[in-house]
Amino acid sequence: MAGMQIAGSLSSPPDGAAVIDPVYRQIRDLVYKVSGMYKSEEKLYLLVGGCERRMKQVGTKSPRGYWEHLTAHPSRDGELRQLLNELTIGETCFFRSQPQLDAVRKVILPELAADKTRQITRRIRIWSAGCSTGEETYTLAMNMLEESTALLKGWTVEILATDLNDRSIEAANTAIYGDYALRCTPEYFKRKYFSVVDDKKLQVRPEVKKLVSFSRLNFQDDSRMLFMKSMDLVFCCNVLIYFDGPSKSKVIDHFFTNLNYGGYFFLGTSESLLNLNDKFHLVHFPGAIAHWKPSLGGGKP
Amino acid sequence: METVPRWWQAMTSSLAPSTVNHIRERVKQIETLPTIPAVFLPLLNLLNLPIDQVKLEEVVKLVSYDNTIAAQCLRMASSPLFGLARAPESIKSAVISLGLRKVETILLTCCMGNVFSVKDWTIDPTNYWRHSLGCAMVCRKFSEKLAASDGDKAYIAGLLHDIGFLVNCMTFSKEFAAAMEHASTQQVPLEEAELATMGFCHCDTGLALAQKWRLADDMLQAIAYHHHPERSHSAQPLVALVHLSDLLCRMRNLGYGYYERRRVDLAHDPAWAILANEYQALEQMDLARFSFELDEAVGEIAALVDIIFGTSHKE
Ligand SMILES: C[S@@+](CC[C@H](N)C(=O)[O-])C[C@H]1O[C@@H](n2cnc3c(N)ncnc32)[C@H](O)[C@@H]1O
Ligand SMILES: [Fe+2]
Ligand SMILES: [Fe+2]
Repeated sequence: MAGMQIAGSLSSPPDGAAVIDPVYRQIRDLVYKVSGMYKSEEKLYLLVGGCERRMKQVGTKSPRGYWEHLTAHPSRDGELRQLLNELTIGETCFFRSQPQLDAVRKVILPELAADKTRQITRRIRIWSAGCSTGEETYTLAMNMLEESTALLKGWTVEILATDLNDRSIEAANTAIYGDYALRCTPEYFKRKYFSVVDDKKLQVRPEVKKLVSFSRLNFQDDSRMLFMKSMDLVFCCNVLIYFDGPSKSKVIDHFFTNLNYGGYFFLGTSESLLNLNDKFHLVHFPGAIAHWKPSLGGGKP
Repeated sequence: METVPRWWQAMTSSLAPSTVNHIRERVKQIETLPTIPAVFLPLLNLLNLPIDQVKLEEVVKLVSYDNTIAAQCLRMASSPLFGLARAPESIKSAVISLGLRKVETILLTCCMGNVFSVKDWTIDPTNYWRHSLGCAMVCRKFSEKLAASDGDKAYIAGLLHDIGFLVNCMTFSKEFAAAMEHASTQQVPLEEAELATMGFCHCDTGLALAQKWRLADDMLQAIAYHHHPERSHSAQPLVALVHLSDLLCRMRNLGYGYYERRRVDLAHDPAWAILANEYQALEQMDLARFSFELDEAVGEIAALVDIIFGTSHKE
C-alpha cells in the first residue's frame, strides 16, 4: 500500500466541504509513475484544477471519463503530456525552494570550500539545466554572490544555463521580471540585485548576469550533453517529468558523467528519480533532497 | 546502592563507570521523575502479549479511568492518518475498525501526554512531541513498507526513543540547556552537542528511566542505541528502524527546532544494511516518495500534538 493513508482525510472532510473524487488520486499516482512528480495531498487541488481544464478541452464531464482519456484512449500519451503542461504552467519563480538554497549555502559550499584538492583551481561550476526564463538561474547566481565575500572569497563561480526553448533563453537574457516571478523574493535581494525598470518591473543587475551564460541545448542531443563537463552542481528542476523512462534514464546518466566526484544533482522539490539510477546516492538535507555522486573512494567527501 | 547488573554495564560501555553512577544517582533522587501512570505499564505489557490473550474489555476498562485520555484517544483514532472513513464513537468501535493493537498504541500515546510534568522545558515541548509522534508514525509506516510484522512495537519504540531528553530537562536542566545552546548555535546534531558539553547524552539518561520503569529489553535498546544501532545486541533491526526514522524526521521538518548543517545518506547508513539483511522489500523502497508522504502527514501530526500534549506543558 502506498500513501500514509492520509488519503481518507479529504474524501470525507468533517465539515462536509468539497469532496475530492477518488479518481483524482488514481490520476495523481499515474502522474507520479510516469513523471516522478508527486502532487501531495495539499496540492491535490492543483491537480484537480489542471484536470478540469483538460476535461473541458477534450470534452468529457466526469473524472472517470478523463481517466479513460489518460489510460485507454489512443491519444493517451499526448493527453498525459498536455496534463503535465497544465500542472507546471507558470510555476517557475525566483527563490522557489529556500531549503535547496540553504543546503547549497550551509552544507555543500562549506564542504567544497574545505576540499583540499580544490584549493588550486578555486572554481565552482553550476549548471541550471532546463532553466526556462532564468529565474532559477539568477536565484543561484545571487546566492553565490552573497557567499563571494565570505566562504567563496577568491573563488570563481561559473553558472551555465540551458534550455530547449529559444524564446525562453531570449527572455532570460533580457532579465526583466514582474511581480509574479518575484513573488517569493526577499526584499533584501530585490534591492541589492535588481534595478527598477518601471513601477511593475525589475531587471537583474549586470554583476549578477556576469556570472551566468545562457544557451540552447536539447537534452536528447547526446554529443552536446557530453560537452557539459566538470560540474559541481546540476539543477534540473521540473524538466524530467516530461520524459519517458528510458530517455529520463539516459539524461540522468549524462548528468552523472557531467558531475565532478562529490558533486550534487538537484531535482524539483516534489520530484523523484524513481530509482532509475543506482549510482547516485539519494541524500537528505533539512527540507531538501539531492543526488550525490560519491567521491572517489566511496564514503564521505 | 544496588549493584550494577552486567547487561547494564554492557549497554553503557562507552561511558566511564563514574558517569553512569552519576546519572543513576540523579535519576533516582528526583521526586518528579515520572512515576509511571497506573495504566501506562499495563498497556505496554498488553502489547507484548500474544493478541489472542488480550481482552478488549480489559483495554477499554484501562482507558475509561480517565475521561480526558478517552476523549483524546477518540480524536486520534479518527485522525486522517489512520484513514478511517468515519470517526469511531467509542473505544470499542475504534477497536473494531482499527484493530486492537493500533488502539493500544493510540492509548499509550495519549497516556504519554500525562506522564511527564516537566517544569522547565529546555527543548521546545512542541518540537519534542512532534518529533516523537512523527518518529512513531514513520516507524510504523516504515515497518509496513518492509512487510515487517511488528509495526505497533516499532511505533512505540519511535514514540519513546528520545525520552532521555525529558530526563535531561528534569534532572540536568542546566547542563542540557548548555548542550541545546551549543547545538543550535553551531547547528550540529543534538546528541553530539550533548556528548561534547555534558559527556553523556539522552540515550544514557533515557536508559536510566527506562530501567526504572522496567521496560522490555527491545525498548531499552531502542532508547539506548538509536544513534548507534550497530551496538545493539539483541534488537538490531528495531533499533536500526528507529535510527533511520529519527533521521528522516529531522530532515523533513520534524526535528528539534533548529537547522542541522548536515547531509544524511540513509541508504548508505550502517542501519540500512542491518535492515536490508532482514527485509528484502527495502531494496524497492522509494525514499523520495516516502519523504513526500511524510511531508503530507506533518500538519496532522502537529494538530494531534496540540490535542494530546497541549495541556501537559501549559501547566
Ligand atoms: C517547467 S520549466 C522548469 C523551469 C525551472 N527549471 C524551474 O523549475 O522553475 C521546464 C523547462 O524544461 C525545458 N525542456 C523541456 N524539454 C527539454 C529538453 N529536451 N531539453 C532541454 N530543455 C527542455 C522547457 O523548455 C522548459 O523551459
Ligand atoms: Fe535521539
Ligand atoms: Fe530523535
